This record gives sequence, structure tokens and C-alpha cells, in this order.
Amino acid sequence: MTRFAWVQTRPQTLFAAAALAAFALVAAITGVHLSHLFHSLVAHCHIGCALANQQFLSHDHFMDRTLSIVARVVPALLGMFWGAPLLTRELETGTFRLVWTQTVSRTRWTITKLVMGALGTVLIAGLLTLTITWWYRALDPLASNQYGVFDRRDVVPIGYALFGFAAGALIGAIVRRTVPAMATTLGVFIFARVAVQSWVRPHLLTPVTHSESLGSADQFGIASLNGGAPTVVAQGSGPPSSWTLSTHLLTAAGQPASLAQRSAFVRDYCPSLANRPVGSIPGPGLHHAVAVPTPANGASQACMDKAAHAFRLAVSYLPGDRYWTLQWLEAAVFVGLALLSGIGCFWWVTRRTN
Amino acid sequence: MTAALEASRLGKRYGGKWALSDCSLSIPTGRVVGLVGPNGAGKSTLLHLAVGLLAPSAGTISVLGARPGSGPEALARVGFLAQDSPTYDRLTVAAHLQMGRWLNPAWDDEFASSRISELELDVRQRAGTLSGGQRAQLALTLAVAKRPELLLLDEPVASLDPLARREFLSTLMEIVASRQVSVVLSSHLIADLERVCDYLVLLVSGRVAVSGDVDSLLASHRRLSGPRRDPSTMPGNLMVIEASHAVRQSTIVVRTDGPIIDPAWTVTPLTLDDLVLAYMRQARDGAGAPVSRLAMAP
Repeated sequence: MTRFAWVQTRPQTLFAAAALAAFALVAAITGVHLSHLFHSLVAHCHIGCALANQQFLSHDHFMDRTLSIVARVVPALLGMFWGAPLLTRELETGTFRLVWTQTVSRTRWTITKLVMGALGTVLIAGLLTLTITWWYRALDPLASNQYGVFDRRDVVPIGYALFGFAAGALIGAIVRRTVPAMATTLGVFIFARVAVQSWVRPHLLTPVTHSESLGSADQFGIASLNGGAPTVVAQGSGPPSSWTLSTHLLTAAGQPASLAQRSAFVRDYCPSLANRPVGSIPGPGLHHAVAVPTPANGASQACMDKAAHAFRLAVSYLPGDRYWTLQWLEAAVFVGLALLSGIGCFWWVTRRTN
Repeated sequence: MTAALEASRLGKRYGGKWALSDCSLSIPTGRVVGLVGPNGAGKSTLLHLAVGLLAPSAGTISVLGARPGSGPEALARVGFLAQDSPTYDRLTVAAHLQMGRWLNPAWDDEFASSRISELELDVRQRAGTLSGGQRAQLALTLAVAKRPELLLLDEPVASLDPLARREFLSTLMEIVASRQVSVVLSSHLIADLERVCDYLVLLVSGRVAVSGDVDSLLASHRRLSGPRRDPSTMPGNLMVIEASHAVRQSTIVVRTDGPIIDPAWTVTPLTLDDLVLAYMRQARDGAGAPVSRLAMAP
């Protein structure tokens, strides 16, 4: 059965291998060039290193963009073009009636197809993410934050690809028509990626929380949010190479400061600002916020100083050294989803398909 | 001796609709069985149940004494040719034979190779480019070369032109003559089966209307024509299958084991075609009720 499954999947596998080889070749050539640049620009710099870094990082934007797209898209493509047609093609063309009536049980047939496809997917996604991670080996340490490229490096793309494949196989077995199955697989894949990124990833690890004075915040001011009364606003970030999950204001007593408390502060201590008409200078990162024009006078400065005493800023973040733990955890989440899809597919094919 | 196929109150439901219901029959081994019925009668469903592609919704079915599709042993003993002879369009003829070799421990390579050369098929040709007749022959070769004890063919000639049809059926007859294999083949056209079958199962609306050895069925059915007469007044040893009446004359198809002695009747034998049509009309007019004289009362 293994040999026949290989015969069936051979054209796609060879195509994928050829594409991967071409990709690896281009990455190797440009990657070696990048290495030379790194040595001549950055590695031996003593003065003006920031400028040298900038120069180095601005190099080869084209490959950078391409690799970002490839890293994001290939797991979805594997799901659509490898996972979805795996069983659907047989169900659609009726050849399942031929192959399921040979001397091979449906159980063995399904397991063989799923396991071989999964191995191929892991191999291709693994080589791909290895190539990409290698290409960025000199760039990434210089770039500001490893968490910024979390979903395009190291092991998580393998998890995504495996999930795409298994979800495609399950959807294909249920839908039984190739093109709708491919479209559905893409939709489910994107949904799962976005859902995990926004709702699961921030909760996988317990963040570190520290509080700091408002003086050291990235942004701090008085602004009107969504047209409401002016309030104290501030935003901070964790240490370098960490992932900032949330920031919020604390009262002097260490409790989270409510919106009411923050507006009350402006009303009580900065009456001159509270009654001013608001301008429209939204600061970066303050969505829907409108900065209150701050008159350059002593009253305003005093008000800000008072705020810095009355409030502190709490920052929750994942330190840089949790990066690999988070990588393995998110990969495990997707491998788990892939296993569930695979089991679902197996159950559907052996128990429900007629 | 175990039956080739034995069904008891077998039923299969798709959604809310029964494709096959309350189907009981027993087919002996060593026969070439014609499974006949109009489109939608449940022929494919019965064959798919027999090869384990479907699971019954009600009742039981056993094939060569085993539950169909219960494992490789059961699969090895049954050869199946699905409707429209599905093959892998993009694989070559040689790859199909390779598949048969890999997936069937009892594969008869000699038979398969000699069949392919007799058919003058190019083994390098992709199955998608074969004609319908060639594809059917390839699929038949695959089904036979696994050395099954029972061969199930689902509408094997329905999509073939008359020449390919004739060639396919003569191939099938050669195989039956040279190998120890029981055959069940389905068709909605009795003409396809008349020359090859020695046993008949007629399915109408998901039920068995009649089944039995073709010769004894033909020997026990007669068409009587004579003066107009109420069929319910017929003697008890004559089972009325179908009656039609003109102004002064009645034509009645009956099933009987004895001779017909009433001199008022002109007795003619039935062809297989007539017999099947009579039962199909009976099933239709009797709304699927079992054979009964009450149902035939005018």
C-alpha cells in the first residue's frame, strides 16, 4: 500500500521537491552574499555601528519580502494542494470503489495515505523553515525583536503546515469535491492562524509584569479617547527583545486605574486642560485618541508632574528567553489540532463514507 | 455449501429514503447471476453492500459466509467492478497492473499480462486516454486477476457501445468458463444478461420481486389467453402475476408448477424479457406489495 500511495503522490512530491530546491538555491546564493556583507559592514565595526546596522538591514528587501510571503503562504498551500485533494480526488472520481475493493482494508488505506502525506508535509515545511531561518541568521539578531517574526521562523511553520494538511484531508473527506474543499481549507487555515495568534498565543505563557514610573513610559500624556472627557493615557513596553502583551495605568496604591479615576484626576488637578476644546493629533499607538493640545506653560507641566506621582505604569511582557518555549508551545497547539483533524478524517472515512 | 450471497431483511437508507428495504435472498455459488431492475431499484446499493463499500442500515448480509468488508480476507475473496469502471486517469495501464500486484496477495500476474496483450492495450498508455470499452476491460482484468471466488459487476456494459458490449460479455463468458468463479452482474436491460446468466434476481423499488434459476423460472411461467375472465376466479394452483383484459379476451401471466389442463386457454411460453416485464408491472401496480391474488383483483 505504501508503494502504491507513493506512486499516486509522486508527481506532486517531485514538483514540491523541485520548487523547494530552486527556492533553497536562490536563498543560498543571496544568503552567502548577505554573510559577506555582514562581515564587511557589521562584524568588525567599532564606531558608527548603528549606521552600519541600518545599512546592513536595509539590504535585499526583495528577498526579505519574498521570504516573508513564502513562509506565511506555503503552509496554506500544502493544506490546499496536498491535504485537500488527498482523499477528495478518489471520492470525486469514484476510484475509491476501485482501491477500497482491493485486498487492503479501508483502515490501512486511510492510515497509509494520512501518515505518508503528513511525513511529506513535515519534511517540506521543515526544509523550508530551515532555509528561511538560516537566511535570516545574521539579520535577525540585529533586528529589533525576534517576536516580530515569530510565525515565520523556527518550528512553528512546521506545525502550521501539518495542521493545514490534516485539516485539508478532513475537509476533503467531508466535502468530497476538490475545488470547494481547497477553498474551505484555505478559509479554515486562515481562521485558525488568526484565532491562535490573537486569542491563544498571548495566554500560552504567564507574562512577567513590572511597574514603572510614568516618566519612563514610551508615551504619556492627556488625551480624549473616542470623544470622551480628557484622561491620563500612557503606553510602555517591556525590555528589548521581549514581547509586550499589555500596558495599563496603576493608581499610587497599586490598583488598576479605572477610566473614571483617570478623568477625575484631570478634572481635579488640571482644570485648565479639562475644559479645553480637543485638537486632533493622535499619537502613534494611541488609536482613536485625540491629544489635548498642551499649552507650554507651568500649569500644564505641573499637571503632568502630578500625574507622574499619582499613577504608575504596569507592563506585561514575555521576556526574550521565553521565545523558544513559546515556539514549541504554539507548534504543539497546531500539531494537536492536526492530530484531531487526522483522527476525525480517519473516523469519517472508515465509519461514515459510503 | 455456503451461499455466494445471502441477505436477510437487508435495508439501506440514505437520509430518509430507503434505497433497499426488506430484501431477503440467497444466491448459490457457481452461478452467473443477473441482477435486473429498473434504474433506482437498488441494484448498485445491493452490490455495494455485498462488497463492503456500504454498511447496512437494517438486516444482515453475508458473502461467501463472511460479513462483507470485514477485513482483507473478506476483500480478497470478492472481485468488484464498479459502475463506469473507475480507473486512475493519470496512471498508465502498467501502473494499474502494478497496483493490483501490490495490493492483492493472490494476484495472478500471468492472467493479467496475457489479458492485456490479448486486448492489445499499450501498457504505457494512461488510463484516462483509453476508450470506454478498453477501460471496462482493464477494470475487469484487475477484478479477475485478484483471484476472487465471487465477481460482482455493477452495470458493466451500461455505458459501452454495442460492439464493446458484445466483446466485454464474451470475455466474461471465457473467464467464467475457465476459472472457478461465481458472478453477479447487474443491468437495467435484460437483453444484456439473457445470453450470459443462468440465475435471475429481479429488484423493483428496493425489494426482490422474483429470483431463481432462469430455466426453472421460464418453465414455471406461462401466458394464458382466452375468453375474458376475472383473474380472482383462477384455480388455486395458478399464481397470477399479471392480467390484462380486452373487451372479450383476457391475457394472464401465471406461475404454476403443474400443467395447464383447462382447454379454454391458449398456453404460450414466456421469454425472459416477458417474464421480467410482467413482474415489473406487477410490482408497480401492486405498489410494492408481495405477490398476491388480491392485489390483482380488477
